Amino acid sequence: MGEFLNFISNNLADFWTYTGFANATVGHLVMILVGLVFIYLAVAKEFEPMLLIPIGFGMLIGNIPFNMEAGLKVGIYEEGSVLNILYQGVTSGWYPPLIFLGIGAMTDFSALISNPKLMLVGAAAQFGIFGAYMIALALGFDPMQAGAIGIIGGADGPTAIFLSSKLAPNLMGAIAVSAYSYMALVPVIQPPIMRWLTTKKERVIRMQPPRAVSHTEKVMFPIVGLLLTCFLVPSGLPLLGMLFFGNLLKESGVTRRLAETARGPLIDTITILLGLTVGASTQASEFLTFDSVLIFGLGALSFIIATTSGVLFVKLFNLILPKNKKINPLIGNAGVSAVPDAARISQTVGLEYDPTNYLLMHAMGPNVAGVIGSAVAAGILLGFLM
Amino acid sequence: MNKKTIGFLLSLAMMLGLASCGEKEVNSKLVLNEVLIENQANFQDDYGVHGAWIEVFNKSYTSADLAGYQLKMSNQAGDTATYFIPKGDVLTLVKPRQHALFWADGQPNRGTFHTNFVMDGTTATWVGLYDSGKKLVDQVTIPANTLQADQSYARVSDAADAWEVKGAAADKYVTPSTNNQTIEGNAKMEKFQSHDSAGVGMSITAMSVVFFGLILLYICFRLIGQAAISLRRRNAMEVKDIKCEEEAKEKKLGEAPGEVIAAISMAMHEMQNDVHDVEDTVLTITRVKRTYSPWSSKIYTLRELPKK
Repeated sequence: MGEFLNFISNNLADFWTYTGFANATVGHLVMILVGLVFIYLAVAKEFEPMLLIPIGFGMLIGNIPFNMEAGLKVGIYEEGSVLNILYQGVTSGWYPPLIFLGIGAMTDFSALISNPKLMLVGAAAQFGIFGAYMIALALGFDPMQAGAIGIIGGADGPTAIFLSSKLAPNLMGAIAVSAYSYMALVPVIQPPIMRWLTTKKERVIRMQPPRAVSHTEKVMFPIVGLLLTCFLVPSGLPLLGMLFFGNLLKESGVTRRLAETARGPLIDTITILLGLTVGASTQASEFLTFDSVLIFGLGALSFIIATTSGVLFVKLFNLILPKNKKINPLIGNAGVSAVPDAARISQTVGLEYDPTNYLLMHAMGPNVAGVIGSAVAAGILLGFLM
Repeated sequence: MNKKTIGFLLSLAMMLGLASCGEKEVNSKLVLNEVLIENQANFQDDYGVHGAWIEVFNKSYTSADLAGYQLKMSNQAGDTATYFIPKGDVLTLVKPRQHALFWADGQPNRGTFHTNFVMDGTTATWVGLYDSGKKLVDQVTIPANTLQADQSYARVSDAADAWEVKGAAADKYVTPSTNNQTIEGNAKMEKFQSHDSAGVGMSITAMSVVFFGLILLYICFRLIGQAAISLRRRNAMEVKDIKCEEEAKEKKLGEAPGEVIAAISMAMHEMQNDVHDVEDTVLTITRVKRTYSPWSSKIYTLRELPKK
């Protein structure tokens, strides 16, 4: 009997070593807490819930402690585990282009086509990427890592994941989480900068309503856009190719079913997988490092630089524009490619100062130009550093 | 676009396509990369034998299969030995940017990577690689008495055009089954670290490219926009039978006001999403006589009350 009890107690002791309670570290608990904060922000504050819910829950999944020496094949970094297989879409970089396909299929470029000079605002906001790149270099990161970190300033999660998977795979988790976190926090980061950099008079500038754009122009945009940008930066092809392809599906008018699949079930599926696995990749043992903290800091800086450069560029641009064609600098922030959140912020802040001045349509121009600009910037970094 | 125009464009595309067709180039993913003829103390095979070897390199970024290829060697004109690389060996699939090494030891029974010929360094040696369609993919001629023992004739770096003798100098290694030039670091990154440690150069270059790309798009769509506006105006002028361009501009022909666009959009939205105020169907109520069937009777579908 005593031997049997001994056997039972040994079994229970053995089982205990496999439980999360026995393997938990402070790091796991910290990351679980961060995951819970993400879920709270998504549910209570409605900050980018489509991203923060999968990422937040992914953080919980990725930080359930387990006996890593037991070879259970459950962790995201254990080859052959289900999570590891799903994570391959991130590591090999094929989720981001599929997300771009969906973005292309749901984006209306007519605001940009009707007022193409807004493209330059989208280009100016990319200073955020290179500002962060320079600061990262100064902090001791090597050029490839600095390029991967800098892309956070593009405010484009899929682009950040795509580029970091190529340039600095070891930093990808931190970069992805940082990019998505700050995209969700755009309503908190951008408005104070916009108010600080603009005068009351500038904030109430009324822009000319966009002209009607013909179907032919809309069909030509993805074709010409692809040819021009990809001939210039072929390394941006996976992202730009899919973005413009998705847009052609939408605008051609004859592939409605394909466009609906791309902007509906396909992008939803990939968003779920991407969000969950990126969240799960923040396993404390791999994620909680001093570099991750630095990356979070640099991410915030890059967003601030991008917003500042967008707003300041519009102010400078206004100096050479005729009086009736002035641009409201409140749409400068939309040059970062967080679509459509950044544009929505332009609208909200604009309405605070003039309840009849609707900036949303105008802000969508630089916003979608920012998507193109950040994909081009990613292509350039890839071409230069890879 | 009418059928004539479409036909003309297709014919033009076909003619241009035909004009640009040259002789079909053979698949050149695989190249001869390094040859060693006299092996005294160099790399040895699985049998522990120091034999001559030929290295093939896959210069592409996709796998390439050597199965069905032929390795040919000749030490004198008119006397060419051919080794047919067998099919069915998974090892003949060369991974991207990887190498395959063939032992020229005249012992094909020792495996796929042992050829049926040997090489002689005292005369000029020609080695050719042919694809499965017997087309020449790559060839190299090693001049007579160029190589001493344990020296190889190799491309300067993998798949480079120039060849040189390796093993003669301290910085030129014989490299069987590996890169002809050892990669000791990331050249691009080192270049950036030494010339642009602050990242200013990269930022200026990259931002210029971003601006250039988007300015190109801007110019393109400004022109396309202007063309679209003038086309719309011309169509409107035709419909309204107005000949004077100035008059058309004054009347803002071809420029639909916002209210009109909103009304059209609303109408299209209603039509496409089947949202409508007035029903287009007619409801008619007629008495239908149905004969009784026990299958539709309620009595049979209800449970009977329990008997007490």
